[in-house]
Amino acid sequence: MSNFIQLIKNEQMKLYAQVSTWVMLILIAVFVIGMGVFFKVDGMMSDDSEQAGENWEQQLEAENEQLQTEMEEEPGFTSMNEETLEMNQYRLDNDIPPDGYDVWDFVQENRGNISIISLLTIIVAASIIANEYKWGTIKLLLIRPISRTKILAAKYTSVLIYALTMLLFLYLLSFLTGAALFGFASPAEPYLFMKDGVVNEAPIFQHTAAQYLLSSVNLLMMATFAFMISTVFRNSALAIGVAIFLMMSGNTIVSFFADKEWAKYILFANTDLNQFFTGTPMISDLTLGFSVSILIAYLFVFLGLAWVFFTKRDVTNA
Amino acid sequence: MSEAVMELKNLKKTIKGKPIIKGLDFTIHSGEVFGFLGPNGAGKTTTIRMMVGLMQMTEGDVVIKGHSVNSSYKEAIRHVGAIVENPEMYPFMSGRKNLVHYSRMIPGVTKERIDEVVRLVGLENRARDKVSKYSLGMRQRLGIAQALLHNPSVLILDEPTNGLDPSGIREIRSYIRRLAADEGVAVIVSSHILSEMELMCDRIGIIKNGELISIQSVQDALKETDKKEVLLEAEPVNEAEMIVKEAVDGKVTVHGGEIVFTAKRDELPSIVNQLVAGSVNVYSVTVTRSTLEDKFLDLIGEGAIE
Repeated sequence: MSNFIQLIKNEQMKLYAQVSTWVMLILIAVFVIGMGVFFKVDGMMSDDSEQAGENWEQQLEAENEQLQTEMEEEPGFTSMNEETLEMNQYRLDNDIPPDGYDVWDFVQENRGNISIISLLTIIVAASIIANEYKWGTIKLLLIRPISRTKILAAKYTSVLIYALTMLLFLYLLSFLTGAALFGFASPAEPYLFMKDGVVNEAPIFQHTAAQYLLSSVNLLMMATFAFMISTVFRNSALAIGVAIFLMMSGNTIVSFFADKEWAKYILFANTDLNQFFTGTPMISDLTLGFSVSILIAYLFVFLGLAWVFFTKRDVTNA
Repeated sequence: MSEAVMELKNLKKTIKGKPIIKGLDFTIHSGEVFGFLGPNGAGKTTTIRMMVGLMQMTEGDVVIKGHSVNSSYKEAIRHVGAIVENPEMYPFMSGRKNLVHYSRMIPGVTKERIDEVVRLVGLENRARDKVSKYSLGMRQRLGIAQALLHNPSVLILDEPTNGLDPSGIREIRSYIRRLAADEGVAVIVSSHILSEMELMCDRIGIIKNGELISIQSVQDALKETDKKEVLLEAEPVNEAEMIVKEAVDGKVTVHGGEIVFTAKRDELPSIVNQLVAGSVNVYSVTVTRSTLEDKFLDLIGEGAIE
C-alpha cells in the first residue's frame, strides 16, 4: 500500500512538472473569471437582482395571473409555464423570496465548464500511458519490483485525482469569482426544483456540489475510455480524438437509435444521472439503478481491456 | 569460479512464428563483466528485454539470484539495475527529480543514496538542471545513476559508452571495473565497439541470429590472436607448402597459388629464411588478420541477418 502512494506521488510529480498541466489550470481560470467579468459588465444579471424587493409577493402573484391567462390563450407552452407557476406558488406558500443573481447562480452557471475539464481530463488520461512509450521511459518504469497492475492502477488513480482537483478548482474559483462580483449568499439558501411534478427544496450548496459530481459521470466514462484506448494502441492522439468525438456525438448516437430495444444499453443514454434527481428521464424505462449498473459494466470493460493489454504485452519500440 | 548470479536456461523467443532467440544457455557470475556482442538484429536487445521482464519468454527461463523472472518477477528484478537501449529520462524534470522518481519505486533507497550516486557519476553540478538540457553523455551518466540506486547485484548496460567523450568512456569503464571487482556486481554490457569490449570485459558472448555462437574469456581470445593469419605467394607452391607445414603447427591450406597459414609474428622471419634456403621464390608475405575485432567479424560473418 505504501508504495502505491509513492507511485501516485510519482505520477502527480510528473503531471505537474509539465507545462501543459499548468496551461490547463490557467485555461479554466481564464474561462471562469472571464465569464464573471463579462456577466458583470453586461449587466443583465444585476437587473434580475433588483426584482427581489419588498413586494415580491405581489410580483409573484401578478406573474402567476399573467401565466394563467397565457396558458389559456396558448396551450403550447403549458408544461413550461406550469412549472414556473408551481414554483412561484411554492415560494408564496413557504415564504421563500426569489433571490437575485448571486454567487450560487454563478457557480451553477460554471457547471458548463465541466465539459472543458472533461476535455482536459481526456487529454491527461490519453497521455499518461502513451507518453511513457513516447518518451521511452516505459522501459525504466517497468523494470522495478512493482507489478504492472499496480503501475496501471496508480496511473488511473492519478487521472481521477487530476479530474477531482480540476473540479474542485473550478468550484472554488467560480465561488470566489462569484462572491467577489455578485455578492455572497448563504450556502444554506434553498434551491427549488421540480421532480415528478412536485416542487422540491434543497440547500443550494448541497445542490451545486451534487450537480458538479453528477455532471462528472460523463467525464469519468470518457476519461476511462481514453485511458483504455491509449493503453491498447499506445497512441495518445488517437485516444484523444476518438474520446472527444464520442463525447460530442454521444447524444446524437442515442437519439439516432432511440427507437431500438437496445438503445438503453448505449453508454451515453446512461451518463446523465442528473435526470433522475432533478428532472424526468428521457427514456422512460431507465432507472437510476439500471443506469449505474450499465455505467459500472462499461467501466469494468474499459479497465479490463486496458489491464489485459498493459500487463500482457511485450514492451518493444514499435 | 564465484557464485552464479544470473542464469539463462534455454531461453527462446518466437515472434509471429519466427524464432528470434533460439535457445540461449549461459551463466553470469558475480564480479565479472560480461560482454554481449553481436551484429544488429542478432537479438541482443530482445535477450536483454527478456532478462528484465519487458518481454515474455516463449520458452526457458532467466534466474537471477535464485529467483525466476517468470514466476517471481519482483524478487528477481529487485537485484537488477538496467539501462535498456537509450537512457531515456523525463526531459521536463531535473536529473535529481528523475532519480527521486525511480527511488520511490524501490523500498529502502534513501536521500543519501541518491546524493551518493549523483556524485559517483559526476553529475553533482548539473543534477538540478532539467534533463532536456543534458548532453547525451550526461543522460548516459544519469541512466547509470538510476540503475545503481538500489545497489543491484546485476547491472545490465546497453551501449553504456554511447555518446560519451573519450575521458567519459575511460571514467565509466574504470567505474564498471571497480564495481565488479570491489562490490562483486555482475555487469552485462552490450556494445558494438569491440576495442571497448576488450578493455572492459572479462568474458564475451557472441550472439548471431538468435544463437550464442561463441563464449570465451577475453584473455584467451587475445592469446589466440597473437597468431596472425599469413598469406604467402611463392613458387613452387608444393615445396613451399611442405616447408611451411614443417615450420608451423597450425593448419596450412592452399588457395589458388597462395598458401594460407597462421603463425606468431616472431616465427615469420625464420619461415621466410627456410623458404629462401629451400630455393623457393617468395613473391609476397602478407599478414591479414591480427586484431580481436577481425576474429569476431570472422565468427559473426559480414553483417549477415537471417
